[in-house]
Amino acid sequence: MTVRTNLNVRRLVYDSYNEELLEELARLPEVWDCTGCHTCAVRCPKGLKPVEVLYALRQQMVESGKVQPTVRDALESVFLEGNPWGKPRATRFDWMEGLDVKTAEEGEQVEYLFFVCCSIAYDPKLQVVAQNMVKILEKAGVDYAFLGEEEACCASEVQALGEEDLFEEMSEENTELLNKYPAQKIVTLSPHCLSALKKYEGLEAEIIHYTELLAELIEEEKLSWSGEFAKKVVYHDPCYLGKQNDVFDEPRKVLQSVPGIELVEFTRSRERSLCCEGGGGKMWVESESTEERLAETRAKSAGALEAQVIACACPFCILTLDDAVKAVGYEEEMEVLEITEILGKVME
Amino acid sequence: MKTFVAIKYVPDTSEAEINLDSTGMGVDTSRFSFDINEADNYAVEEAVQIKENHGGSVSVVSIGPQDSEVTIRMALAKGGDNAIRIEDSRIFEHDPLAVAKVLASSIKDQECDLVMTGCMANDDGNMSVGVALAEELGVPHAAMVKQVEVLDGKVRAHRELEGGLMEVVELTLPAVLTIQTGINEPRYAPIKGIRQAKKKELKVMSLDDLGLPADQVDESASKIKLNQMYIPEVEAKAEFIEGEDAEEKAVKLAEVLKKGGLV
Amino acid sequence: MGDVFVLIEHRQGELRDINWEMLNMASQVASDFEGEVVSVLLGSGVDDFADKLSGACSKVLYVDDPKLENFNADMYQKVLSSLIDEHKPTIVMVGHTASGVDLAPALAVEKDLPYLTDLIELRNEGGKPVAVRQYYQGKVNAEFSFADADTYLFTIREAAFEPIEPAQKGSVEKVESPVKEEIDYRKFVEYVEAEIGEVDITQSDMLIGIGRGVKEDKNMPMMEELAQLFSADLCGSRAAVDSGWLPHDRQVGTSGKSVKPKLYFAVGISGAFQHLAGIKGAKTIVAINKDANAPIFAEADYGVVDDLFKVVPKLVEELKEG
Repeated sequence: MTVRTNLNVRRLVYDSYNEELLEELARLPEVWDCTGCHTCAVRCPKGLKPVEVLYALRQQMVESGKVQPTVRDALESVFLEGNPWGKPRATRFDWMEGLDVKTAEEGEQVEYLFFVCCSIAYDPKLQVVAQNMVKILEKAGVDYAFLGEEEACCASEVQALGEEDLFEEMSEENTELLNKYPAQKIVTLSPHCLSALKKYEGLEAEIIHYTELLAELIEEEKLSWSGEFAKKVVYHDPCYLGKQNDVFDEPRKVLQSVPGIELVEFTRSRERSLCCEGGGGKMWVESESTEERLAETRAKSAGALEAQVIACACPFCILTLDDAVKAVGYEEEMEVLEITEILGKVME
Repeated sequence: MKTFVAIKYVPDTSEAEINLDSTGMGVDTSRFSFDINEADNYAVEEAVQIKENHGGSVSVVSIGPQDSEVTIRMALAKGGDNAIRIEDSRIFEHDPLAVAKVLASSIKDQECDLVMTGCMANDDGNMSVGVALAEELGVPHAAMVKQVEVLDGKVRAHRELEGGLMEVVELTLPAVLTIQTGINEPRYAPIKGIRQAKKKELKVMSLDDLGLPADQVDESASKIKLNQMYIPEVEAKAEFIEGEDAEEKAVKLAEVLKKGGLV
Repeated sequence: MGDVFVLIEHRQGELRDINWEMLNMASQVASDFEGEVVSVLLGSGVDDFADKLSGACSKVLYVDDPKLENFNADMYQKVLSSLIDEHKPTIVMVGHTASGVDLAPALAVEKDLPYLTDLIELRNEGGKPVAVRQYYQGKVNAEFSFADADTYLFTIREAAFEPIEPAQKGSVEKVESPVKEEIDYRKFVEYVEAEIGEVDITQSDMLIGIGRGVKEDKNMPMMEELAQLFSADLCGSRAAVDSGWLPHDRQVGTSGKSVKPKLYFAVGISGAFQHLAGIKGAKTIVAINKDANAPIFAEADYGVVDDLFKVVPKLVEELKEG
């Protein structure tokens, strides 16, 4: 999909074999257009991941210290404060205020241990995802715990931005932290954390996305909804959940369980989902392209379906699609909602 | 060129609510993130660029707690060669003249062509340490520098005045420059570099190690006495400007802006 | 003696506003300390300045010397030091300005004076000075007292005091410079005007931030007019840049620039987290948005909840008049 950028991943892979060209290639602006969607990996007939070449080229720039100020700031922030948003560590758990959240005790076995994403923890717009999650878990009577201290960035975007050494450090620290709290499964709220944690070495528990847990709870009839959400909803497959982790059905099962919902599909759904451009470190580095943002194309597709809601299960998709819906002027007729936000409306 | 860069470890108070600590003589910093003072970061970058262009070395000096070592290592990773961290609870840090004396004692007996530090610390806003340091060292200085040109035995500094006007001065070396933000674009210190920087010397020194008697820089030596800190009375966030209609609100807003010297 | 010295700032043929602010503050202080206000004017051939200043203080001490034509911190320091020795003022005030901070700390060290910066308040308590300054970008006030001394040195915050209304007729004492030799270790070379053209919004003092609420490109002239009235640069949210109203280097936020102006005037910006992260260095934030719940209001110092297309034109009208 190169409507938006000059990024020709095939060409870059081919040219990267020539070591002498590496420095020049690393400095190409389109290297920073990659969103890490992994469509290239999905499509490669040899089962390779060309995206890794992009990340390696970025690593060259990172190691020379010559990255854009926004990238520099995000990486320094993860290094110093455990999140890419320039927020202090001490306020990471402010989202818990007013809620009775069960936090993990060292050495105490728990069935589901939750890992909250930095964006969800700090962004007032996204905190509702974690807050609603707690309410749902309480309602279902699940044996859960959240990390109350020391939780830090999964470093998914750190790796995508080319800071492989920092990703390694964070993965070691997080692995040590998570292993302190014996759990059957670690549940992530963000598909990015899901992808990142799955790369860690030595994590004792299995890692799943929250939609996988909720789908199971709904099947086991441990969760039911009382209200109605009578809207036409189209589900947008997040690249990091679908293409990278093959989680396609569970979010749909969860949405279908909502009374009154009319669930429709994009033509480009599942593995063909159109990336919202939130991943691959793109929240911190803009493309030079002046072509229409993919998220806006997606919003228009939703408009063509006459969908009232674009439902999503990824914090970055939420942010980029929400901006896009407003940019194309649809905000009166359409909203972008995280799945937990929809569930929150039918919970009481 | 042998350059010294003085850096400070400061809290980021830009967003959060500030509360006084239990003594009333300081603030509760437990919920803040700490980092290198912004202007000092620019000074580090400038020093490293001078080293890259003219050769020589960069020494980093800082008065700060153990926690501040991470920012010192980041400065070393960017191109610093060695560092000194000074820690001594007796230093009366509210007094920029005391801070300058302490820094001077770490530089005084060393070979030194240039000293740079940020023109202002974001926590106290004194804008004084660098210039006071110059006087302590007995060398010329220029404050608020936005551009540096190293010449033979001299340095040409562009001082940024109000309104963006630049005052160009020429100083003989050794000299002290206080650096204004925006002079350059600080590089990123990659983790690889920070790990390698662990091999560089980071000496921790007390006043005794510096050979500086505490009674020259402690509270009793200072001519300023902090009585108390207090939170100024401010209107609650967002004073909403009311009015019957948009036009009336606009008129009131204009008044507020004029009164506040904002226009 | 109780006298208050005020070091006068002038540049390129003009007296700066801070002088009138300091002279106003000084007159109150001088009266508290039972002394007089003396303007200390260092320069060359600036008799007209001396005359103007004499309308705002008891005395102008005017050192007329070619070596003092342009500000040179070291030269000014030497002269001022000598004048302090001779006249022994109780208080010496210097502006907390680019030139003031280039001089004052060195003078404080040289003469071992009690020294405090960026004062917003100065009073007499039992015959001794008590001063207030701020920490953490204005979020905390701190009150200081001082060791007893013959002379205290303070730098005074700009735009913190009202300017004085000239009313008196003070005397002008013109003297020769006590410093006879030229300084060779610091030379004034030249002034260089600010470059017009490339704007680096991260260094801008005044910014107008525009957002989605501005709706269309054809509304930009109104924003440009507003910016001009504030001598501000224009910048905006990602929405404004995406819509093509501003070039990419004017984007503010986590994927754009971080700004720290004295004033950030947000027009039609909702205040998404990613944008707010870019303006946390702003000193004062004013916001206009028709949505009372827009997150920008949680960060703003002043807010107007109304239609910006009605507020802005009227605001422009009001500011043009005044």
